[in-house]
Amino acid sequence: MALLRAALCPGLSAELALLLRARGVRTVVDFVSSDLEDVAQKCSLSYKALVAVRRVLLAQFSAFPANGADLYEELKSSTAILSTGIASLDKLLDSGLYTGEVTELMGAPGSGKTQVCLSVAASVSLGLKQHVLFLDSTGGFTASRLYQMLQARAEDEEEQLEALQRVQVARAFDIYEMLGALQELRDSLSQQARGAFFLQVTSSTGPLKVLLIDSVSAVIYPLLGGKQSEGSAQWSETQQRTKEALNCICLLSLALMMQLARELKMLAREFSLAVVVTNQVTRNSSTGPLKPALGRSWSFVPSTRVLLESKEATWEKANTQRIASLVKSSRQPTGIQVELDIGNSDAQELSPVTPTQGL
Amino acid sequence: MGDAFRRAESGTQLLARLEGRSSLKNLEPYLFAEEGFPIHGDVIEFHGPEGTGKTEMLYHLIARCILPKSGGGLEVEVMFIDTDYHFDMLRLVTILEHRLVQSTEETIKQCLGKLFLVNCSSSTQLLLTLYSLENMFCTHPSLCLLVVDSISAFYWIDRSNGGESFNLQEINLKKCAELLEKLVREYHLALFATTQTIMQKSTNSAESSFSLKLQQETDTDYRPYLCKSWQQMVTHRIFFSKQYNSGNSKTFSFTSCHIKKKQIVKRSFSIAECGVQF
Repeated sequence: MALLRAALCPGLSAELALLLRARGVRTVVDFVSSDLEDVAQKCSLSYKALVAVRRVLLAQFSAFPANGADLYEELKSSTAILSTGIASLDKLLDSGLYTGEVTELMGAPGSGKTQVCLSVAASVSLGLKQHVLFLDSTGGFTASRLYQMLQARAEDEEEQLEALQRVQVARAFDIYEMLGALQELRDSLSQQARGAFFLQVTSSTGPLKVLLIDSVSAVIYPLLGGKQSEGSAQWSETQQRTKEALNCICLLSLALMMQLARELKMLAREFSLAVVVTNQVTRNSSTGPLKPALGRSWSFVPSTRVLLESKEATWEKANTQRIASLVKSSRQPTGIQVELDIGNSDAQELSPVTPTQGL
Repeated sequence: MGDAFRRAESGTQLLARLEGRSSLKNLEPYLFAEEGFPIHGDVIEFHGPEGTGKTEMLYHLIARCILPKSGGGLEVEVMFIDTDYHFDMLRLVTILEHRLVQSTEETIKQCLGKLFLVNCSSSTQLLLTLYSLENMFCTHPSLCLLVVDSISAFYWIDRSNGGESFNLQEINLKKCAELLEKLVREYHLALFATTQTIMQKSTNSAESSFSLKLQQETDTDYRPYLCKSWQQMVTHRIFFSKQYNSGNSKTFSFTSCHIKKKQIVKRSFSIAECGVQF
């Protein structure tokens, strides 16, 4: 919470700040919520001056409401729908990945999440000629596989190399590294937005359109203590609170997870990025439905969620076929499924399956 | 602002405000157990796990408010406070397009002109924003709906920042709740807020402010975790859940509880491209 100090805003001098602190008004919130007539009397200050400072502080620290019509205009020009490179998946996502949103791919290990991410990177860098940032926390990114995908889509070697240059890879193996990488990204995007023309020309990072994170569960799982962080049903509320207050490590990790979630959504919104994250799956019981890992708090974060599963295959055939189901969406009915192939040469579409009972 | 300012303002704006208040009458009769519509000062909480239709219901209510009277709306203004970058403008536009008889860019923008959106990134910013919004409520007499989606977004971050003291952890939300109550009361608003189900159900409901009998009747996965100031100011609590039919179609349902009168009503709804359908 911001402390009141000199030069925090025009009109707030060092003497004023000292006088206020002597009366117990230490932070911006204290000042804004206090009765200014009372403060003016007690500190023998001008009421008008205090009102002016309050107005400036509010303008500086509060969020400004936007009109719906203006926002709509802005969104119409800045929102883009990006193809994933897999036609059936695009259909599932209502034409593709929407910028300004976080899309989650969930699935068991080996279900094809990294392959789909690589396909997105290939499609966006080659087909759309836009920049991609791949944040790898599992070590699953292989440049050779990406190159393979590019080769399958374009004949011209120069085109392929240009596309490769548009894909930036960063590695972050714990939550702090990931938050740090996102902060760096935010700084560089802010600088570009401020019109630092020369940056665009000299650096290889042009206008970023897609941020892929593979995976979020890898950096958060080590922090979460599992069930104990959400509390046990048998404990009374007081016991619960005491236990939770002492168990500050779990609390910190949940807070870090929500901070990561917030950062991803802000980046998506502010810079019109399509953010794709991958996540593990878990079940409540051995027969229960699959649900995304990382708990209830995380479940609210993505706007769209796709489940990837292996298709049952015969013994001889190498299993590169997957089924993608729409689990969460604000645009399409959930439960629709499509098939896709993450095979050796390219991620291709197969015929879409008829919708079955979803999760 | 000083008291004198408030007295003069309410004198001139009284009629406009009275009209604004009664105009929420046909907002959504299905949602309310007793009188069928929110009255000024009501605080309605939407509670439920992910994917149960809380935000869709908000879009439905917003559309009802901002559509012109000719389109079946109430023509009032709405203030939407988005705390987790959740608001999907394109989805709202799709719903408006389906509900307007003649949907052109002009009419859509006219409707959207009645909607105000704010994004808050922390509970402190939410608190300061509420202070600065006070001015807007003064100058917009037709602004009678305030929506906060969601009010539980900062829960874990606040708890982690508050250190050892539980009071310090809750203090921001407590102040926000108190300020919201003041704003709702003084400017005759109706407040809709969503809270997320992020805790497991507590079997010991004696310590919760929600009576045991009511909880059994509603059979919901509800464990109160936000501060007492918030829990005590809620007048209606609506629990959302997903229902699975024998066929393919998935429907949603809610249980609406009027806290003081202990009345409950249960309803089902489905979500189509045009929004919530009862």
